[in-house]
This record gives sequence, C-alpha cells and structure tokens, in this order.
Amino acid sequence: MAFYTLGLTFSIVIALTVVVLAIWLYGMYFNFKKWGIGSTGYQEPLAHSFWLFIATWIHEAFKDGVWVFIRTLILDVLLLRRTLRRSPVRWVMHMAIFYGFVTLAALSGLGLFMDIIEHFNILGMAHEAEMVKKSMELPFDIFGYLLLFGSTISILRRILLKEVRDATTAYDVVLIGGVFLITITGFYAEWMRGNAFLVGDVFANPVYAPHFALIHTILALCLFAFILPWSRYLHVIAAPMTILANRGGE
Amino acid sequence: MADNKPNNKPLISGFLMSTQLMELNACTRCKECMNWCPTYAVRPDRPEITPMYKIAKFREMLDSQYGLRAKLFGPKPLHEDEINKYTEDTYYCTTCGVCGTVCESAILTVELWEAIRPNLVARGNGPYGKQSFFPKLLKTDRNPYQAKQEERLCWVPKDAKVDESGKIAYFAGCTAAYRQQALGVATVRVLNALGVDFCMLGKDEWCCASALVRTGQRDVMKEHAVHNIDALKDRGVETVLYACAGCMRTATIDWPRWYEGYIPYKNVPLSVYLREKIRSGEVDYKRSIDYTVTFHDPCHSGRHLMHIQGRDWAFEAPRDVLQSIPGLKFIDMERSREFQRCCGAGGGVKAGIPDLALDCAVNRLRDAEQVKADIIASTCPFCRRNIMDGRNSVKSQIKVLDVVELVAAAMGLDVTIPENPYTKYQEQDTIVCKDVCKLETVIGKEAGKDIVGEAH
Repeated sequence: MAFYTLGLTFSIVIALTVVVLAIWLYGMYFNFKKWGIGSTGYQEPLAHSFWLFIATWIHEAFKDGVWVFIRTLILDVLLLRRTLRRSPVRWVMHMAIFYGFVTLAALSGLGLFMDIIEHFNILGMAHEAEMVKKSMELPFDIFGYLLLFGSTISILRRILLKEVRDATTAYDVVLIGGVFLITITGFYAEWMRGNAFLVGDVFANPVYAPHFALIHTILALCLFAFILPWSRYLHVIAAPMTILANRGGE
Repeated sequence: MADNKPNNKPLISGFLMSTQLMELNACTRCKECMNWCPTYAVRPDRPEITPMYKIAKFREMLDSQYGLRAKLFGPKPLHEDEINKYTEDTYYCTTCGVCGTVCESAILTVELWEAIRPNLVARGNGPYGKQSFFPKLLKTDRNPYQAKQEERLCWVPKDAKVDESGKIAYFAGCTAAYRQQALGVATVRVLNALGVDFCMLGKDEWCCASALVRTGQRDVMKEHAVHNIDALKDRGVETVLYACAGCMRTATIDWPRWYEGYIPYKNVPLSVYLREKIRSGEVDYKRSIDYTVTFHDPCHSGRHLMHIQGRDWAFEAPRDVLQSIPGLKFIDMERSREFQRCCGAGGGVKAGIPDLALDCAVNRLRDAEQVKADIIASTCPFCRRNIMDGRNSVKSQIKVLDVVELVAAAMGLDVTIPENPYTKYQEQDTIVCKDVCKLETVIGKEAGKDIVGEAH
C-alpha cells in the first residue's frame, strides 16, 4: 500500500524531516543560549554563551562523580522516583506516556532509516529493510497501547478528580489533548491499514489510511519541533536535565 | 500611586546560575509545591506566592526580554507595578524549602529564591519592608540588635569556664547572646558539666549574616563570613558547635562560598554532640521532666542540611537527645522531618511581613496542639521566637523551649542568667526546676522592641 499521499513524495518527506529536525535543533540551541546568560556558579561571572551553559551543566551534573550521575539517571530520570514518592497513579501515567512516546519516536526514526535504505537499496539491503519494518509492527502496537493507556489516565484524572479538574489550565488541555489526539490518529491510521493488532480488519480502509497516517505524522512533528522548544512544554527536556544537574535534588 | 509605566530598566538575572535559568523551564506544573507551601496555607487567596506561579512569572518576564519574540521584535518594556508585585510575591516566602523536597523536577528552590532576590535588590525593587535595615545594622554593629560587640559574653555566669582558644568552639549567635540568653547559659552549663573544654569568640563573633543571604542583600556578607572563619581559624578550632540552626546553616553552606582559603574545622549541631555524650554514658540526668514534648524541625538544620550532613544529623539527633531525658514523653507532629511545616520566621519574613510569620506560627502551634504537647522543643532561636509569638497571639498554654535547655534542666544545672545590660530585652519560656520542674515565661521590660523583629 502506498504510504505517500496528497502529492507527497519520498524526497519531499525526507526534506521536510530535515527541516523539522533543524527547527527543533535550533530551538534547543536557542534555549541553551538563553539559559547561558546566567552565571557559571555562585557569585561567578556571567556565561553569556551556549558552550558555557553546556560546561556549567556538565560540571553540576558530575559534581558528585559519575556514579551519582548514573544513579540519578536511572532512578530519577528513567524510573521517575520523585514522582512515585508523591503519587503512584501519576507515576504510572507518566511512565506509560514517557516510555510510550519515547519508544514510538525511536521506532519512527528507525522506520524512516529503513525507508531510506529500502528506497535507495543501500548495500542491496532493501528486502532486509522491509523485513525490519515488518518486525516493528508489533512493538509499534504495544507501545502505542502503552501511550494510549497513559494519556487516557491523564484525561480521566482531569475529568473525574475535582481537585485536578479545578486546577486544569488551557496549557494542560493543549498538551494532554495533543498527546491524546496524536495517539488516537496513530491508532486509527494503523487500524485503517487493516490486519492490526487486537482489532484485525474491522476498521480497514485502504483509501484513507495514508491520509490519516499523514495527519498523525504532521501532528507529532508539530508538537516535537514547533511547540516543545518554543513553549512552556520545554519542561519535557528541561526537567530531566534539571534532575541530572541537581543530582536528584533535595 | 501605582507606577504602571513601562520603562527601560532591564530585568536583572545575573545572580542566577545558567542551570537555575534552566530550572525555570523545568517546572511541570504538577502543583505539588502548592500542597505543602506554609505561606500559601495561610494566604490561600494568593496562589501567586507559591513556587509554581513565581517560577512561571519570572520565566515569563525573562522570555519577554530574551525569548523568541524579543529576538524577533525586541524586548517588551517592563512595568514597574508588575515587578513590584513580583517582588512582594517573592518575599512572601520563608525559604523553608519544602517545595524543593516535593518537587518532581528536583528544582533546588531555596537556592533559586536566594538567587532571584539579589536580582530584585540590584534592580532597586527588593528587599521588602524592614529587611532593608539588615545591611546597615550589620555593617555598623555586626549584629542586628544594635548591641555592643564587647558585651557578647555578658551573660556568661562568672563561675562558668570558657576558654580564649581551643579545639572546640561554641558559636552562640546573636539571639542567644542578646535576646534568648537562657539558651546560651544552658549550653555553657551543659558543656561545663560534661567537662568539655571549649572557647567562644566573644567580640570577634560577628553575626552569621544569614538574613543577608536569605533576603538577597549580599553586599556585607563576605566581610562577616571571612571574619568569622578567620576568627575560628586563629583560635585553632577543629570543631564548632552550634545551638542555632540559622548560624549552622549559614556557616556550613554560605560562608564557604565567600571564603577563598582552606577551612580546617568541622561544623557540628549541638544536639549531635550531646547525643554522642549521651551514648557514651557521660550525661548524668538527675531530674525527671514529666512533660509531653514534640520537636519542631528547623528548616535550616533539617531540610537545608539533610543532603550535606545526612538525615541522622538533621532529624534524628535532636529526637534521640529528647528521648534520652527521664520522664519526658516524646511525640512527633504529623508533619515532621523533611515534610515539617515551617514556623514562618525564615527568609526575612519575620522582619519584612510579620503578620504572615505570625499566621504561619499559629498553624505550626496547631500541629503541636493536635498531638497534645505541653512543650514544643526546637534547636532554633528564631523558630522559638516566632512560635512563641504565635502562641501568645492565640493565648495557647504550650511552651516553647530549646532542646539543650531541657537537657540542662534534667541534669539539674543552675541556669540562672546573670544580670546584664540585655536582661530587660529577654523574652523566653524557661523551665525552672526545684523540687519539681515548672514551665514559666520570662518577659523583660523592653522585650520585643527591636528595630527588626528577627534576623533570620
């Protein structure tokens, strides 16, 4: 089945991917440089530099040694220990969203890489690349369901718990709603292709499947490149970096 | 009149480390800090004083100067009203640090507030209220009570043994020297009874300058840090004992930041030192203290130091000391240790916003009433002062004492304060033991008339 639709070609998709990555990278550079206007230490001179921010961050993150860094990375960044201490429900939700999203993003990157190999038949491995893509279908489904599980908890919390509902702002709605929409469109695109995990051919619609896949991709890339680095949702990147810089915090 | 005109005075952020600027973007808005903030608990109509809102606001102001929009179209002029409001919100904080303890993004909030405040001071918006007196008072008198440095040891009983120099020093702090001398006398008596040879700095003991760091007025800080460290080094000190959580915190965390040389001594809370003596069987209790006692963890020696000196030193040592006292029934409050509720005195709040400090103190008093305590014990003269004020405002019967005073009473020591120029300023609860121990409150003729209520 053709993946590309609405006049898109492989080359255009690759070019757009490069543009999106460039915007994301510039966004990160912009933020690091902005943070770099701070000082390099208590009462120390101002950095005013992208590189000095990086250097300050590395200095802080490794201040107590590499083992503390690794411990913090595993316990506080990868296992979200601080969230678990405060709320087990929120921890389950964050873990599901975090691992669902990160793994799907990684799988998507790998999928694109396989697409490139297949398209140009690099090293004559087009067939193997197609096989790899085929083997990625199940993990895509599993982590998709994980993400769906997490984003469903987050929406239900905001609907069912008064305290959380009252404190919900437009920013929460945009982020959670965005993640939920991306997940749902991803699933629907998958289901429309037919022979999907759990639902089989019930929703199969080969004509519109590529359109839905495109909508899903555009939404995900917009969130990634145009919203995350340029809004307060930057916390997705800044929070783990802060946890590492503060060696797990208080 | 409100000054809502935009102006070109820049937002200053230079006191923030670059990783702290990153922290401003790390807040996930989980609102956990709002559940624990002691000032928001007594000002629920002002969410803007909570960490989440303060971080968001500073980030917004910073972005208006350095964000993408500012880069494309130029920075937005800042409105003085906006900055003044933010300054007020920022100073409505006791820097207790519970927000940092519960923060899911591990933001070091105490450090963050203490780095934001100097920017506001440098811009001319901070500090707040009477806090602005601190630098002048310290520069002139080297203590916040306008007292004479030569009279630092005027309260030491004639028969007490205090050396000029030695391996162990007792750093009393300004409040024990001039306003809560019962604490100083009890400490000296206990150390003498245990046969500990120790020295005090006398007129060379300058204020620890905690209030300057907390309120963002760093100018005089270096002089005090360097002077005190050098004075301790000159006397050959190897261990410094503190019966004041504020001094302990400042000496451990803040002084070294301002001192360029090697610091050869170790800072030890008095309760830790006493616990060692109790464990080695050197403490001989003679009386029973038949009261129900709870312990209020000072933020400065608890949350602020728990990651430097360990939870055992920060939280368990004073509890162990209290529980060793015969007859004393110890009970913890619901919020204790790293989740303790701040008394409300810290961060310059007692001096700058006394009504806020008082309301927080009443909340803490209610915690103690809930567990039916007769005495709130602590290891911080500032917490004690503020909780006593809260107690007085609601006319509660609970007394507030220092741990070392209870130890001195149980050891049967004479803790009479000699008459001195500062007797009239004394205001403190005491435990007086003859046949039985009784709780009393001593109030001098001129108590509570200081220019600034506290120097925390």
